[in-house]
Amino acid sequence: MSVIKKNNVNVRGDGDRAMVFAHGFGCDQNMWRFVAPAFEQDFKVVLFDHVGCGKSDLAAYDPERYFQLSGYADDVVEMCRELKITNGVFVGHSVSAMIGALAVVQAPDLFSDLVLIGPSPRYIDDGDYVGGFSEAQIEELLDFLDDNHMGWSAAMGPVIMGNPERPELSAELVDSFCRADPEIARAFARVTFTSDNRDDLPRVTARTLVIQCKEDVIAQQRVGEYVRDRLPRGELVVIDATGHCPNLSAPDKVTEVIKEFV
Amino acid sequence: MEDLEDLYENAPCGYLSLGADGVIVKVNNTLCNWLSVESYDLLGKRFHDLLSVPGKIFHETHFAPLLRMQGYFNEVALDLVSSTGEYIPVLANALERRSEDGNLLFTRVTLFQATGRRKYERELVDARRAAEKAKQDLQALNEGLARRVSEGLVERIRLQRGLLAEQEVARLREQFVAILGHDLRNPLASIVGGLNILSKEPQTEKAKRVLSLMSSSTERMFSLINDMLDFARLKSGAGIDVEISRTDLKPTLEQVAEEFRSSHPNRVFAIDFRLTGPVDCDPARIAQLVSNLVGNALAHGSDDKPVEIFACILGGELTIAVRNHGVPIPKEIQDRLFQPFFRAGVSSGNQGLGLGLYIASEIARSHRGCLKVRSDHEATKFTFTMPASSATPA
Repeated sequence: MSVIKKNNVNVRGDGDRAMVFAHGFGCDQNMWRFVAPAFEQDFKVVLFDHVGCGKSDLAAYDPERYFQLSGYADDVVEMCRELKITNGVFVGHSVSAMIGALAVVQAPDLFSDLVLIGPSPRYIDDGDYVGGFSEAQIEELLDFLDDNHMGWSAAMGPVIMGNPERPELSAELVDSFCRADPEIARAFARVTFTSDNRDDLPRVTARTLVIQCKEDVIAQQRVGEYVRDRLPRGELVVIDATGHCPNLSAPDKVTEVIKEFV
Repeated sequence: MEDLEDLYENAPCGYLSLGADGVIVKVNNTLCNWLSVESYDLLGKRFHDLLSVPGKIFHETHFAPLLRMQGYFNEVALDLVSSTGEYIPVLANALERRSEDGNLLFTRVTLFQATGRRKYERELVDARRAAEKAKQDLQALNEGLARRVSEGLVERIRLQRGLLAEQEVARLREQFVAILGHDLRNPLASIVGGLNILSKEPQTEKAKRVLSLMSSSTERMFSLINDMLDFARLKSGAGIDVEISRTDLKPTLEQVAEEFRSSHPNRVFAIDFRLTGPVDCDPARIAQLVSNLVGNALAHGSDDKPVEIFACILGGELTIAVRNHGVPIPKEIQDRLFQPFFRAGVSSGNQGLGLGLYIASEIARSHRGCLKVRSDHEATKFTFTMPASSATPA
């Protein structure tokens, strides 16, 4: 199957050099709506949804392939090969920061520059390393999902309604943005919050910019600093924004630091 | 008149207002009571600070982005955590308030307690999972059933093929019986007739001897053919055909004995027939049965000891016993004696096809009687018993 359909790839812009935007856990390519347009003049902007998210082909979801982040990284590599991308820019938010790092380790020619927004190579504390969450807390999160005690009715909607022959019933409950199949969202949460990619960071050869929000409960500033320190060519910019999604809460600042970096 | 200040503070739902930077700037009394805090405890905090860890993560990864993109979210299920650590399931609605030029001014959040509803939703999900599991079980059951049906079909086809083969065998058997009955017996009858004619002509001593040998050979051949015919009929399921009539068996048995005496002049036969009345039987078949038993006794018994033939009617039952001396029949093969083609030890020219005892036992059966053997160092005795009258209950 074409990666274009599988990942709902959208290519815009007039530039020669590609800039690939990858969304994080909990959303889809819509989350770049305030940032990506600013680069369409100078770049070939590539937007896509991870398999299982947004308008990707849900049928392409293979639990074995996406059991690890490397499965998502393989998708990125395949997509960029099909689009014939070399020496591009990869902008990854949240879990996609690590997916981009894994992709560039696997295929260094794809991207010469990485922008990692709110990255965390590991969410669970481990000895001296502070990921921000205890193992018990992440287990609570995953139990929360496994028990299907979903924290959001948008995802609960289709599960509860369970009425595939009358999708309009579910559609009212599901928001038009950031749709996700609840089963896949659960698996994606597991792979996201239990991953440990700390030892992949030193193998990233591309120039890398880490964008860190001042107050981010998901990826704390010390995690951003840790990422910078372990990257061979990493730099860190802390922006005056709160929350885990500065591309939505402070899109102008994000756009500005990316432009400066590239 | 409604007091709007009181409506806000003590509304039956929680109110929360966030500044443009996401910090809590106003909160109502109801929410403070739920959380067991004072309002100044909450001011300056962020919405996610009130949530359980899973709620916090999902707020940050899902609802905060959603709120920014569409300006609101509705009916989001979250767990608040009170100052005593208690979880309070709620549904949250949020709406951004923007200025005319689109800048975010503040966000309003309304919270409704939803313990019962959330519990109900969980039960719905559990029920749906149970239904899915039941569906899977049913599917597995159906697959198993389909497999068993197809296996059954294969078995049936196999049986049908077997039946066809069986029918083919039956057809061949009928052909075989026809060949035995006519094609073999008719020329043999001609030979017997020829021998009879020749035996009346003047003969040399040598011719007499040869004619006698030929005569016994043809008789033997007749007997073998008859055995084969009976066997073929038995195998076709037809059973031995008997014609029951009220008969005085004594002359019949004496004739059998006389035939053996003349064909085996060197052997001694001890005859004891105490037949006090008639018997309902097929005399020709009883003669065949006795003949088979005596032939057997002659073949396997000691040459120097007599073959005893005993018959009596006692208590409404006919008993015919044939006894010989010699090596006893081993216990382990006694049960198999009455099976077709059973032949004891090495074959000898005197032995038939191994059908004699089988046919004898079938004759016994068709007379509602039975044939038994007892063999020890003293003697081997075959005993045939049957009800003397067909009116006697079996």
